[in-house]
Amino acid sequence: MEPQPIIVQPPKRKFNFNFERILDNPVIAKELRGRMRDRRTFILLTFYLSLIAAFVCMIYLFLGESTSGLAFDPDYRQTLGKSIFGTVVLIELLLISFIGPGLTSGALTSEREHRTLDLLKTTLLTPGELVFGKLSSAVIYLFLLIFTVLPIQSLAFILGGVGLAEVVISSLLLVVTSIFFATLGIFFSSFLKRTLAATVSSYGSILLSVFAIIFFVFSMSFITTVMFSNNPNISKLNQDVFTIIMWLVVSTNPILAPIFTEVILIEDQSIFISNTTSLFGTSGMYLLSPWIIYIFTYTVLSLIMLLASIWFVKRPER
Amino acid sequence: MSSIEFQNVSKTFARRKAVDSVTFKIESGEIFGLVGPNGAGKTTTMRMLVTLLQPDQGEIFVGGHSVIKTPHEVRRLIGFMPDSFGVYDDMTVNEYLEFFAACYRIPKPQRAGLIKDLLELVDLSHRHNDMVDTLSTGLKQRLGLARVLIHDPSILILDEPASGLDPRARVEIRELLLEVARLGKTILFSSHILADVAELCTRVGIMENGKLATVGSLSQLSQKLIPHRQIKVAILDKAEEAQAFLSMQQNVAAVRLQTGNNSSRIHFELDFNGEDNDLHELLNRLLENKFSVVHFSEETQKLEEVFMRTTKGIIS
Repeated sequence: MEPQPIIVQPPKRKFNFNFERILDNPVIAKELRGRMRDRRTFILLTFYLSLIAAFVCMIYLFLGESTSGLAFDPDYRQTLGKSIFGTVVLIELLLISFIGPGLTSGALTSEREHRTLDLLKTTLLTPGELVFGKLSSAVIYLFLLIFTVLPIQSLAFILGGVGLAEVVISSLLLVVTSIFFATLGIFFSSFLKRTLAATVSSYGSILLSVFAIIFFVFSMSFITTVMFSNNPNISKLNQDVFTIIMWLVVSTNPILAPIFTEVILIEDQSIFISNTTSLFGTSGMYLLSPWIIYIFTYTVLSLIMLLASIWFVKRPER
Repeated sequence: MSSIEFQNVSKTFARRKAVDSVTFKIESGEIFGLVGPNGAGKTTTMRMLVTLLQPDQGEIFVGGHSVIKTPHEVRRLIGFMPDSFGVYDDMTVNEYLEFFAACYRIPKPQRAGLIKDLLELVDLSHRHNDMVDTLSTGLKQRLGLARVLIHDPSILILDEPASGLDPRARVEIRELLLEVARLGKTILFSSHILADVAELCTRVGIMENGKLATVGSLSQLSQKLIPHRQIKVAILDKAEEAQAFLSMQQNVAAVRLQTGNNSSRIHFELDFNGEDNDLHELLNRLLENKFSVVHFSEETQKLEEVFMRTTKGIIS
């Protein structure tokens, strides 16, 4: 008798990832169509580009005024290029932090207010598709904002001084920031009943995470510099713990993380690792560059908020 | 098999029982009307049925599928129109239906034809490129009905479909519902307008204080709650003589002279116990005795009376 061949059953796929279905998400098409029909979309885009262009002009004029006669000096041109690039990225990060939640904090609450959420929940649209559709349409618009700045930003590329690493890191930071702040708005929108409450909560948490942390970092930096210089007996362990905490706080702030990353890139010529000696006046430590921590933290937080939003939409009323 | 089955379903909101041990069945092809005063629990009952709310107790089956265990299957079978029309201001009529067709995963090539047919059914073809917010309430309700039908559900659940409509739009929606029913759909709808319910429904459920007070066809409920047949008679003269004559007739339990009528006719309302033959005999005797009968009819579809006799005006 011939031995029977052993048939190995392929393991059952737990998640049925249907890429075609993702592209055919009706919520994305509906939201984008609605957004592009809205006059405010173009007003916002115009305001956003004008603001960034104005800042770039100011830097150009200011540096041109203070260093007149150096127009053809390569060092001067590189400084100017770096300044323009850094400013544009920082303003973009700041504006996206404010526009992102504004686009999404009413995404689900307005469906509730217009009594259309019930209609959607009784269709075959899954909560995941609904939340993903709302988020995607907002993120696509934020990407539009990022891409439309490229002509202004390219002024920096003409002048020079901006490396590939800076371009890649800044693009990653912008993409992750866009997704995070859009998800933040969706998150509050998924469980709060009113758009106003969701908007206030979103902006409240942004103010806390962006500006309160900057204030905290500078205060702590000042206090500890005084403390460490007056008291040399503070143990290395205490200094290290303080350094790590400060590093994490800095690395998770949308304004401080790119600034510190740029400083490390210029001073240490390092993309991934940094020595913290010069930053807090404490004993030196090698830590991951802020942009890595920033991207990891904000990606994980976005995923958690996205899953929580889906759960909030999925649960039937009780 | 029943289309819809409620088994001892209850729902409580903050210690207030909105729905209390409701049990009933709706068979395929029926038009079932759910009536009751405000706060009776009609909307909560419907929201549980369409998977928007979870019952605290009991089970609901739609086409044999449990609403709690297999909500996705239930959603395939039902079309739900809530009491308020969900408006997307920034869409045309066509886009609105296209969007919901996509939500029900209708393949792209089929959508255009389907939408065209539905717009014809609800008589909105001429407005297909208009923005939804420019439609009147009646037209929005028709569009809502087209949306409900987009995935060809076998069961329609309509919460107050005629509320806020002018009389003409109300009649049009009623006609539309009858047309949809002729397509073989099971319809469950709630309404405050008893005339609509009486005209449309094959069976009626009356809810009060979260409980289903009574269920049955209008004639069954009338027989159960109104012991006598109500006969209306109008004559031109001899009021006293006619009243005395009618009172003496067999099967006539009571005769009431209707006053406050401005016409020259004399109106009587009779409580009658007999069958149709006896009724025919009564009319013959009136004519033989030279009473000038100008009106003789039986009051049917007395849903208002059934409703008033069933409910006590208690709000849960």
